[in-house]
Amino acid sequence: MSNRTVRRFVEGLLRGQRTQHARPDDFEAEQMRTAIELRAARLGSDSPREDFVTDLHRRLAGEVEEAPAPGGTRRRVVIGTGLAAASAATGLVVGRNLLAPTVTQQATQPTQGELEPNAGTWRAVGASVDLPDGGALAFDLGSVNGFVHRTDTKLEAVSGVCTHQGCKLWLDAPESRLRCPCHSTSFSLEGNTVTHQLPVAPPPLPTFRVRENNGVIEVYAPTEPA
Amino acid sequence: MPRSKGGLQSVTGAAYPDWEAIYRDNVTWVYRLMYSKVGNQADAEDLTAGVFMTALRPLRVTATVPEVRKYLRMTARTVLASYWGDRMGRQVTSIEEDVPEVIEPETVASDAPDKVGRLLQRLPDNYRRILELRFLQAFSVREAASQMGVSVANAKVLQFRALRMAAQSGEEATS
Repeated sequence: MSNRTVRRFVEGLLRGQRTQHARPDDFEAEQMRTAIELRAARLGSDSPREDFVTDLHRRLAGEVEEAPAPGGTRRRVVIGTGLAAASAATGLVVGRNLLAPTVTQQATQPTQGELEPNAGTWRAVGASVDLPDGGALAFDLGSVNGFVHRTDTKLEAVSGVCTHQGCKLWLDAPESRLRCPCHSTSFSLEGNTVTHQLPVAPPPLPTFRVRENNGVIEVYAPTEPA
Repeated sequence: MPRSKGGLQSVTGAAYPDWEAIYRDNVTWVYRLMYSKVGNQADAEDLTAGVFMTALRPLRVTATVPEVRKYLRMTARTVLASYWGDRMGRQVTSIEEDVPEVIEPETVASDAPDKVGRLLQRLPDNYRRILELRFLQAFSVREAASQMGVSVANAKVLQFRALRMAAQSGEEATS
């Protein structure tokens, strides 16, 4: 009965007290581990107290209020090395502060609008034969650029400018994606935001009116200035 | 989960709407996990708070549910390691890294009673009895001694010998 370290630990454990500081050797640590397993196996003792859950929620909400609004810019996240290792191990991109006020996330709820120029004309962007079913074509009319694609014989055209900061999208045909070179945002050919690494999902791409006219694909675009 | 290059992920994948949803959905299993590793409520609560205080900050809103859980688990692992380092200068218990992702977090600590059951079965009757009374049924030394018909001093000796033997047999079972 010379093992005071283990005895003190076990007595505290059985009284429900916090773990005190000690410097156990291997076997003492093994006994502590066994004692913890035994104690934790007691029925009904492992659910969190409601008061605790409520109180922690309140403390986290307090953090939310203190956290500065990101205002569209990426927050610099300072984390300890241990956590950096943890996040690296899980492959998560660190960059978004969940404790930021939720209003900023909802500020730009995405809706897909149709591009309606004040003065527009139907302008040819390519030949029908060049656009098979499932295919996509890029077009550039100067004032606007975009991509037209055909699915189930239906034509759709979307803007080729990223809705985040206006970089020009490129067509990743094998993946059927429109990709932004600036912040790795990607859109579907229909214009929906598919992936992003930004605090807020960029809105979907505006669509163009599009039609086929005697073997020519036309989109409704702003009239060229005279 | 469809993922593209560069660690991006689909915004249509199942994700949490906000930090409160993450908290509500995960606080119970994080607490249970911590409790199973430290065995007392006060420390388990502090550790759980530590996990959420640290983990919510760098998490992306668009992280999927399994990713969030995995991240919380990795954070819990780090938080627990630092706790034991401070208290004991060594890892008395730890959280395993390689848990199959399909596992629902609610089941994480559920093999503990089985393990304890097997552990107890390997012990002589009076050793098993004293550990059951003291650890599982929350009897005081005095009550346990009276249940077993031995003196209080005797019960104390039994308890610590029983724990030593259980720890030894646990070591052998895992090595």
